[in-house]
Amino acid sequence: MKNLLTAATLALTTLAGGAALAEDYPERPVMMMVSYGAGGATDFQARIVTMTAGNEDALGMPVAIINKPGAGGRVGWNWFATQADADGYTLAAYNVPHFIAQSIKGGVEYSTDSFEPIANWGADPAVFVVAADSPMNSMDDVVTFAKDNPGKLTFSGAGLFVGHHIAALQLEKAAGVKMAYIPTKGGGAAAMKAVIAGDVMGGVNNLSDAFRAQEAGNVKILGVFDLERNDFLPDVPTLKEQGYDIDNASVNFRGIMVPKGTPPEVIETLAATVPEMFNNDRVAKKMAAGGSPMHIMDREEVQAMWAAREETLKALLAGL
Amino acid sequence: MSTSSLPRLQHVCASGLVAAVGVWVAWISYTQQPSEAFLFPRLISTVFVVLALWTFFKALLGWTKVGHGLGTHEMANLLPGLVIALVYVFWAAKALGFYTAGAIAFFILLSLYDPAPHREVRTWVRRAIITAIYLAVMYGLFAKLLKVYTPREILF
Amino acid sequence: MSIGYERRDIDLEFLYYFGDVFSPVSFGLLLLGTIGGLLLGATPGLSPTMAVALLIPFTFHLQPVQGLILLGAAYTSTVAGGAVSAILLKIPGAPANIATTLDGHTMAKQGKGARALQLSFLASAVGGVIGVLLLIFLTPVLSQWALAFGPSHLFWLAILGVTVIGSLDSASVVKGLLSGCIGLWLATIGFDDIMGAQRFIFHPALGGGINIIAALIGLFAIPQVLTMFAKGRTSSAAEVIEVEKHSIKDAIRELVRRPRALTIGTVTGSFIGLIPGVGGQIAGLVAYDQTKKFSPEREKFGKGHSEGVIAAEAANNAMVGPSLVPLLTLSIPGSPTAAVLLGGLLIHGIFPGTDLFDNHPDVAWTFINSMLIGQVLMCIFGLYVAGLAARIAQVPQSVMAAVVLGLAVFGSYSVQSSMGDVYVMVTLGVIMYFLERFGFSAAPLVLGLILGPIAEANFIQGSMIAGATDGLGAYFLTGTLNIVLIAVVIASILYSVWMELRTRRYISKEEIMG
Repeated sequence: MKNLLTAATLALTTLAGGAALAEDYPERPVMMMVSYGAGGATDFQARIVTMTAGNEDALGMPVAIINKPGAGGRVGWNWFATQADADGYTLAAYNVPHFIAQSIKGGVEYSTDSFEPIANWGADPAVFVVAADSPMNSMDDVVTFAKDNPGKLTFSGAGLFVGHHIAALQLEKAAGVKMAYIPTKGGGAAAMKAVIAGDVMGGVNNLSDAFRAQEAGNVKILGVFDLERNDFLPDVPTLKEQGYDIDNASVNFRGIMVPKGTPPEVIETLAATVPEMFNNDRVAKKMAAGGSPMHIMDREEVQAMWAAREETLKALLAGL
Repeated sequence: MSTSSLPRLQHVCASGLVAAVGVWVAWISYTQQPSEAFLFPRLISTVFVVLALWTFFKALLGWTKVGHGLGTHEMANLLPGLVIALVYVFWAAKALGFYTAGAIAFFILLSLYDPAPHREVRTWVRRAIITAIYLAVMYGLFAKLLKVYTPREILF
Repeated sequence: MSIGYERRDIDLEFLYYFGDVFSPVSFGLLLLGTIGGLLLGATPGLSPTMAVALLIPFTFHLQPVQGLILLGAAYTSTVAGGAVSAILLKIPGAPANIATTLDGHTMAKQGKGARALQLSFLASAVGGVIGVLLLIFLTPVLSQWALAFGPSHLFWLAILGVTVIGSLDSASVVKGLLSGCIGLWLATIGFDDIMGAQRFIFHPALGGGINIIAALIGLFAIPQVLTMFAKGRTSSAAEVIEVEKHSIKDAIRELVRRPRALTIGTVTGSFIGLIPGVGGQIAGLVAYDQTKKFSPEREKFGKGHSEGVIAAEAANNAMVGPSLVPLLTLSIPGSPTAAVLLGGLLIHGIFPGTDLFDNHPDVAWTFINSMLIGQVLMCIFGLYVAGLAARIAQVPQSVMAAVVLGLAVFGSYSVQSSMGDVYVMVTLGVIMYFLERFGFSAAPLVLGLILGPIAEANFIQGSMIAGATDGLGAYFLTGTLNIVLIAVVIASILYSVWMELRTRRYISKEEIMG
């Protein structure tokens, strides 16, 4: 009897608490976990897109960025799936295809079912780069070299089972060649350093970072792993244009999500306000200044995108 | 040198424990999969075990040169403080909230180790004032200036 | 190897932009950044990287130049500010300040805290100014040097760091090495970075591995708290130390009398600080070790010898300027702090590299100049703080122990708002206290913790490249830079062995039994 009473009281207070929570949400600053280090592309963009969160027409409360880097994002997302409070005060940035590829590969405690997407803010395609003094000038040169020297063409990327790795796998499959993909620790910046310094012969990297490196005269960009050319690089052809059957599965989509179990009212509030928050002139200006392509999607669109991506990746990673 | 036997026994136990940890780490490193991921741990743990066993045998033979070991008197002094510190960190900080638990732990520790006589009211007032200052500084620094959101249960 | 960045022949261009630093707004921000940076740097748990990241939102509302002045000044002074907690509380603010604790905190315990702080700020300023001057005049040469280090070289460099372990702050080389091994093992806990495999995760709090800042706080601060507890209800009278009066003039005189420590610190700091991914963390420790090896008063190190403080602090501020070379010329952030600064630049639409010096010379040079002036301001404020802060030695140890414990808990929590880090911090700290009682020491353990991931990642990356190209042996053992580094590694090991054999004869019977 006593147990029952306790249970009933507990249920009541939880209900009341839940309702009150949704109504006043958010009543204190919100935390957002980024599973890459401070200064990386995801961190940098997350700070920009949340800078207007404190405005009345957005969340009305500031968003504080917390970095939990490690193992290509696994550390942060594992923490988010298992230890984060599902109360709407803990958000996280997602990177697709990274977390989906990792969950397919296994060894982590999350999958697409562990999280609820809120909205997408950006899409950063992968590109293939070589050092400025490299003799290779097109993807055909790269593939020809790889065909003549199987397994000897070294190229860097930001880790295993991240967008760069997916792009590398797609390239090997589409061109029917074997190459040596070298994952670096320390993200895209370290992978780019390896290309510029000549530690490796080429590399897959983020379009935004590669664009800057090309502007600085350090690298040449040979192809974009996307369905169409990018506004930042109108002269660089896609892989598809160069005759390789590669889609946009490696494009790095970034957005905000919450853990499964977050009250539906809170998710609704967030899903309604967050895309508006992204759609802000100041945000757009800062993002463009940093060379980061924006791509705003609402909750439904992101859910569809996650599902589609999961299917493609399962097929691609099946042989590994 | 009558006290030398105690540190010697202690040294044997301490280095034995370290060696046991080393052997255990090595065992895990050599048995876990995937082996590529454990290449580096295997290398480290091998060196770890060799050095730890060397230290252990040195201790057995009584050749240990550095380290004073643990004294009964010191441990008696240490124990209450250590227990309070552990309760504070592993339970109170989260259950009572960072600032409440921090202030209580601070006050208890201060009272425990402050040599001033416990009977005088003045001593207690002084301790309370120091605790209040501590609380204010920590709150100002971490909550206001750095805006760290710490677990809060009671009060703030 | 072509580098896109080409330097014009006028190297005095920076003088042209000096005036900009002294406009009222800029100078105000410079002051704010310097003072704020000192305070943030002195707060346990706040590394320079975090301090700069915290300030980024403020720059949203500023002009690009002003924003960078704030960030540059903060970077400069947080590195130096870390010395305050390292000396007074034995809590190194960042890996860069570990070496400072070795002699600095001992000096503070001897009542020479003010002198240690004065020396550390003076040495920081000298090292820092020289570092920034190197950045101004030698950038093209330095950027080549920074790029010369590939995975095999970084691997050998990490191994060189490991060889330092044995001779660092431990009376016994074997126990020093064993401590280092424990650190190397602790570094492997968590997800491995390349394969993504789980290693040694016994508790969910360890999933993210051991956070280096939390570990630093625990390993240094907690044993000290417990040592104070172990003394019981002693009045501070047992340890009352006359806080010596220290005039700044005397401190300058002492610094001038130690040209060796200052030179070795500055040179080592500048060149090691330049190497992407490794430099900043170990510059201080390597400089400390080198100074110790070259000093005729070697046995005084670790017992409150001022050369130790001078070398460590000169090195870690000398590193600040050169560590920005890869960022400013090639747009490659060489350190976590540089990565955050890159973000600060990009937000304002400024791309480091040729673009920066060609199209925004005002931004580039004002930023660099602000770091130069920042070093001087940091020194002035630091010296002022030194006088006040040294009184901390008079705080009764009952208060001190409780304060340090509180700072350790709050500090380690604030690193990434994680309770797990606090648990790890305390657990490591308590274990370290008992290990220290048996002759193990924290500094080599921490060095292992820092170097482990660097050595491992570069070894794996190097062996993958080697597997696809000329094979493991050729990749790691040939090439001038590899051979030079291997030679230095061997020399360092032989030196440690020789020193161990030589000192063994001088250890007295009392010390052996003690």
